[in-house]
Amino acid sequence: MTTLNITQVQELKEMMEDAFDDLVAIYIQDSEEKLKLLKQEVKNYDDQAICMLAHSLKGSSLNICAEDLALIFKQIEDSSRIKDLSSMETLRLQAMSEFENVKVALESVHTL
Amino acid sequence: MEGSSYKILIADDNLSDRMILTAIVKKMGHVVLSASDGLEAISQFTEEKPDIILLDVMMPNMNGQEAAIEIKRIAGEDMVPIIFLTSLQDASDLAKCLESGGDDFLSKPYNPIILTAKINAFSRMLSMHNILQQQKNVISKNAEHLLNEQQVAKAVYDNVAHSGCLDLPNLKYLLSPFSVFNGDVLLAARRPTGSVHILLGDFTGHGLPAAIGAMPLAEIFYGMTAKGFLMEDILREINSKLKTILPIGYFCCACMANLSFRKKTIEVWMGGLPDYYVLKKDQNEIEHIASTHLPLGVLSSQAFDATTQNIAFDVGDKFYMWSDGIIESRNDDGDLFGEGRLKDIFYSNSNRDYLFDEIVEKVNDFTGESGKDDDTTMLEVSMVEESELEQVDIDLSGGAIHGPTDWKMEYTLRADTLKSFNPLPVMLNILNDVPSLRRLSGQLYTLMSELFSNAFEHGVLGLSSDLKSTTEGFAKYYQLRSERMNVIGNHSVCFIFDHIPLESGGRLTIKVIDTGKGFDYEAIQNANFETNAYCGRGIPLIKSMSESLKYSGNGNTVEVVLNWQADEAE
Repeated sequence: MTTLNITQVQELKEMMEDAFDDLVAIYIQDSEEKLKLLKQEVKNYDDQAICMLAHSLKGSSLNICAEDLALIFKQIEDSSRIKDLSSMETLRLQAMSEFENVKVALESVHTL
Repeated sequence: MEGSSYKILIADDNLSDRMILTAIVKKMGHVVLSASDGLEAISQFTEEKPDIILLDVMMPNMNGQEAAIEIKRIAGEDMVPIIFLTSLQDASDLAKCLESGGDDFLSKPYNPIILTAKINAFSRMLSMHNILQQQKNVISKNAEHLLNEQQVAKAVYDNVAHSGCLDLPNLKYLLSPFSVFNGDVLLAARRPTGSVHILLGDFTGHGLPAAIGAMPLAEIFYGMTAKGFLMEDILREINSKLKTILPIGYFCCACMANLSFRKKTIEVWMGGLPDYYVLKKDQNEIEHIASTHLPLGVLSSQAFDATTQNIAFDVGDKFYMWSDGIIESRNDDGDLFGEGRLKDIFYSNSNRDYLFDEIVEKVNDFTGESGKDDDTTMLEVSMVEESELEQVDIDLSGGAIHGPTDWKMEYTLRADTLKSFNPLPVMLNILNDVPSLRRLSGQLYTLMSELFSNAFEHGVLGLSSDLKSTTEGFAKYYQLRSERMNVIGNHSVCFIFDHIPLESGGRLTIKVIDTGKGFDYEAIQNANFETNAYCGRGIPLIKSMSESLKYSGNGNTVEVVLNWQADEAE
C-alpha cells in the first residue's frame, strides 16, 4: 500500500519550490469539490459524468503521487466507462477514506 | 534549440496539473500560456501563436482531440508540435490522439525529466524547421533571381547567336530547346558573294556552359562571314577561340558548310558528328558524308586541319545535317532511334518535299512523352537558283553614318604574305567603313578578288589563263601554281585605294601594281573582250562593275574606278 510515493513527492516539492504549498492546497480544494460532485453523480447513475470526474481525479492524484487513491479512481473510471455502476458507492467510500489518508500524508511532507 | 526560449501553451482543465506543468516549463526558461479547455486553447493559439502545445485529452467544452484538429488546421504549413497529456492507456484512444494531429504523449504522473527531454526534442525540430523555412525562402528567392538572370542572358544570347538567315526558302530546320539554353547552335549567314555559310554545332553538355561557348562561336561566324572570310579562316578562328575558352573535355562537334549557288557545290567541313546525307535529285541512294575531323576546340591552332570536302550540288539536290540528338533520341523503353530507322524514312519517302517533315514526325512519334534526352537539331539544305533568293541584305545598322570619305591607303603584300594570306577580308573591312560601300560589298569583293588573282596568279606567278580552257589545262594550271609559289622570290602585289567624296556620293579608285612581267593587255582586250570571265582575266566582269578600267605600264598596273551615289533613303 502506497498512500504517497515519498521519493516522487520529494522531487515534486523540490521542483515546485515555494509553490508546493499552493499546489497541495489547490489539489485538496479541487479534489474535495470533485468528490462532492462525484457523490451527486453516483446518486444520479450518470455514468458519463462519473467517468469524467474519476478520470480527472485519477490524473491529479497521480501527479500529486497519491498512487493508491489514483488506483481507486481508475477503478471507478473503468467501471463507469463500461456502464457497470454496481460497486460505485463502495469504491466512492474507499476513495473518500483514502483521500483523508493522502491529506494527512501531504501535511507531513509539508512539514518535512 | 536548447537555450532559446519558446512560448508553450499548457491546456489542462485540472488546475493542480497545470501548476505542475507550469513549474516544469518555466524552469526550462520558456514562456507559459495556459488554457483550461479546448475552446480556450484554440483562442490562445490564435492570439498568442505558441510554439509548442501541451494538450490534455479529456477536457470540458471541447476535448483535446477536437482542439488539436482545429489548431493544426489554423497552423497550416507552420509547424506546431502538440504533446497530448494523458493517462489514457487504451491503444485505440492513443491512436485517435495521433490521428487528430498529436505529435507525442506525456503520461501522468508528469516526469520533469521526460517532459524536458520532449520539449527539447521538439525545440530542435522547430529550429530545424525554421532554418528549413528560411532556406526555402532563400532558395526560392535565389531561384527567382536566377530565372530572371537567365531570361536576360537568354535575350543577350539570342541576339548574339541569332539564327541569321535560316529563314531562307531553301532551308528547313528544327531546333528543340532542351532547357532555357540549348547545347546546339544552328547558324546561317550570306557571304558578300551571295553564297551561304551554315554552321551546326553541338556543344558537350547543355544549358549555360554550352551557351557560353556558343556566343563567341556565333560572333566569329557572323562577323567573319559578313566580311567575306572563307570557311577555312572562320573555322580556324572558331577552333582557336574555343580551344582557349573551353575547359578540358568540353568541345563543339560541328559541321560548317558553304553553299555556293554559282558553282553549284556545297563545301563541307565536319568534326565529331554522325554521318550526314546527300540526296541527289534523280537518285535514290543516300550519299554519306562522314566527319573527317576532331570537334572544334580540341586541337591547337598548329594541329588544326581545315581541309574541306567539296561536293557537287545541283538544283534539287538536298543535304541533311543533324546533331546526334536525332539518332540518339530514345523511346519509353529506352531504345535508340538509330540510323536504321532514319534510313528507312529516307527509303520509304515518296515525295522529297515532305521528307523533312516526315523525319521530324517519326522522331517525335518514336520518343513520345519520354523524349528530349538530348537537343535535337536538324537542317535540310536544298540547292536552288540564286535568283530564287533575296539579295544579300547587308546590315547597315552599325557604324557611323558618314564614315571616312576622303582618304588614301596603300597595302603591299610581299612574298611570304602572298603565299599564305588572303588579303581580301582585311581590305573589304576597311572599305566597309564607308557606309555606302557596305551596300556594294558583294560587288567589291568580286571585283577585288578578280584584281588580286590577276595580279598574283597571272602577274606574279606568270600563269596563263589560256591554260584553263581545257580540263587538263585546269589541272596543269594548279600544278604550276603551287610549283611557282615556292620560288616566288622578291615579288609583291600592291593595292592603292583612293576614296574621295563627290557631291552626291563618292569615288573609289583601286590601283593594283604587281612586280610580274606584265602582259599584252591591248591584244587581250581586242581578242577576248567578250569571252567568259575565267579566261579573259575577268576583264569583262570587272568592266561591267566599274566606271572605268585602265591598264598601264607593261600591263602590271591596273586602275579601276568606281563611282557611287548616295542613297536617297539614307
